[in-house]
Amino acid sequence: MISKKKGMSLVAKQRAAGWAFLAPATILIAIMSFYPMIRAFILSLQTGTGANMKIVGFSNYARILSDKVFQQSIINTFLYLIIQVPIMLILAILLAQLLNNKDLRLKGVFRTCVFLPCATSLVSYALIFRCLFAQDGLINNVLIKLHILNTGYNFLGNSTSAKIVIILALIWRWTGYNMVFYLAGLQNIEYSVYEAAKIDGANGWKTFWKITVPLLKPTIIMTFIMSINGTLQLFDESVNLTKGGPANSTITMSHYIYNTCFMNVPNFGYASAMAFIVFIMVAVLALINMKVGDTRD
Amino acid sequence: MKKRLLSVLLVGTVAMSLVACGGGGKKADSGDSGSSADSNKLTVWAWDQTFNIKSMQMAADEYAKDHEGFEVEIIETGSDDCQTKLTTCANAGDYSTMPDIVLMQDNSYQKYLKSYPDAFTDLSDMDVTWEDFGELKQAYSMLDGKHYGVPFDNGAVIACYRTDILAEAGYTIDDLTDITWSRFMEIGQDVHEKTGKYLLMNQATDGDLMMMMIQSCGANLVDEDGNAFIVGNEVVEKCVDLYAEMIEKDVVKLINNWDEYVQTITTGQTAGVINGNWITATLMSTEDQKGLWEITTMPKVDGIDTATNYANNGGSSWYITSNCKNKELAMDFLASTFGSSTEFYDSILPETGAISCYLPAGESEVYNEPNEFFNNQPIFSTIVEYSSHIPEFTSTPYHYESRECINTAVGNIVDGADKDAALKEAQKTLEFKMTE
Repeated sequence: MISKKKGMSLVAKQRAAGWAFLAPATILIAIMSFYPMIRAFILSLQTGTGANMKIVGFSNYARILSDKVFQQSIINTFLYLIIQVPIMLILAILLAQLLNNKDLRLKGVFRTCVFLPCATSLVSYALIFRCLFAQDGLINNVLIKLHILNTGYNFLGNSTSAKIVIILALIWRWTGYNMVFYLAGLQNIEYSVYEAAKIDGANGWKTFWKITVPLLKPTIIMTFIMSINGTLQLFDESVNLTKGGPANSTITMSHYIYNTCFMNVPNFGYASAMAFIVFIMVAVLALINMKVGDTRD
Repeated sequence: MKKRLLSVLLVGTVAMSLVACGGGGKKADSGDSGSSADSNKLTVWAWDQTFNIKSMQMAADEYAKDHEGFEVEIIETGSDDCQTKLTTCANAGDYSTMPDIVLMQDNSYQKYLKSYPDAFTDLSDMDVTWEDFGELKQAYSMLDGKHYGVPFDNGAVIACYRTDILAEAGYTIDDLTDITWSRFMEIGQDVHEKTGKYLLMNQATDGDLMMMMIQSCGANLVDEDGNAFIVGNEVVEKCVDLYAEMIEKDVVKLINNWDEYVQTITTGQTAGVINGNWITATLMSTEDQKGLWEITTMPKVDGIDTATNYANNGGSSWYITSNCKNKELAMDFLASTFGSSTEFYDSILPETGAISCYLPAGESEVYNEPNEFFNNQPIFSTIVEYSSHIPEFTSTPYHYESRECINTAVGNIVDGADKDAALKEAQKTLEFKMTE
């Protein structure tokens, strides 16, 4: 009786407190993230140039099927994904393993060095790579001095080498970032587990595959999902390093979406439809990744 | 203790940045939010401190002499940013964040007229003799016979050559004046053999050379009705052939971006530059090459009846947005400065190098003064004269799409793709982009 007079029961109070703590973040996410998503979806059902929009249903999505440039951008993006992400993650895990060595001196210095590229802005590092690989840039000068080349090679002017430059740039920029996650994961593995393995006669290779990798699995899956997500939304490198050229051979999906809105005659409806396709791709890939990595039976 | 200190620092930093953001936001409220309510003040977006912003400031000072209290507030907005911002406010349907007057690249304007027809003010009734700006320049800012823009700077194409490199190969500037592209190619090959330098260069991805060549014939990548017209377009095919051959024969050096473009000039690796005359500002920044450059007409396309040695690339005009609360003032201001005053154009030329599209301005003394950098050629009056010869062509809102398609096609052709297939592909892509 007394508790009724006071108002809510203890459970109800706790619930209310829970909701009160959840509310700010939920409301913010709903307004800043979900609402724009819904608006973007509605926009993707409309077409027209600039402000003259009319509703057309799913014809924007059908339009994608006949858009050669967008298809090219999908191929490019997936090429980056397939080549760059595995190389980067393997490098990151190896570096993490090296830097996790108990007996290593100056660990802090090395870790900082590897992580440092992540502190640079995307635009500036893309511009620096552009200078490095210019026709009379540092790389060409070194190659000429070493008598490997006679004249400067046009790295950014050739479709294959331009793609390689972008992949190199991405590896440089993001390896350290992923390494930090692995390092954190490695710290959680008890050293005694390794000792036990050593006593049982496991060599380094075996310990790595039988202990490190399985115990790091959640981290590996997380970095995979983040990398897939990041690569599918790749923008700055394509815009600043190569401008999508030569002949659209390095253009990414986001870059093409941006062009459709702001460089060409603006067509926001179609651009939103393409953005939703990217969203679906990320969702599907992340789902597959989680299913594959699921350890429960 | 150490941790507490750190957290205090962290909180401090966050608080500071919040304050900074807040401050920025406030500033945006008063200054950035477009058109001003003050009856004697106009806000303007323009992008170059030493060029168009300065010209606008001088125009305002001039106008303020007869109109007490008049002032302009110029908000520096990069040329690309100008477009992104306009697109954003126009597409949101919120014109209130637009300025009173905005400067825009001539090549972009048709796209805005098509996409946001209500965003700009019809200026046809303004007190300006439109004929004085030349047909082509007006066409950039016209729709259905109505005028929307007051022309500002001139985009007439000039060919600039390093006379010392030409002399090394045994040529003079006269050998390159009023020639055809085939002759240009012969000279270019010779120059490359003798000096190792290229006679010309172009940006592979968003270079303007193809567009200049095509438009110098009074043609475009669209037909008269504005439809994509690449396959079967005699001018385009001829230009593609010439361009591909020039790259193959080391006459044109392909570069990747604007930095390399400027670098190729400053390091003296190129003997020539063909571009809108605004390129003179870049050339003149190379003090050590003073007196070595001379200008002349660009080559013309062989075997085309309508071919000329003149084209346009770049240039910009002033537009009054529909957000302007004081349209009469804005129109009167533009009309009495950029629209009709040769004295005004004379005064901005030495200060900013802005070459007028206003044809009567070219006759004045200031325009006829020799320029030391260009071996004492009177380049300003020459450029104004060139601009009167530029042939008209059908302009299209899809300028950037066309340029992208043709550059992609020639890129592939140079890389060894089949010409007909590449052009067919370009035609299809452009057609695709023109549908909704």
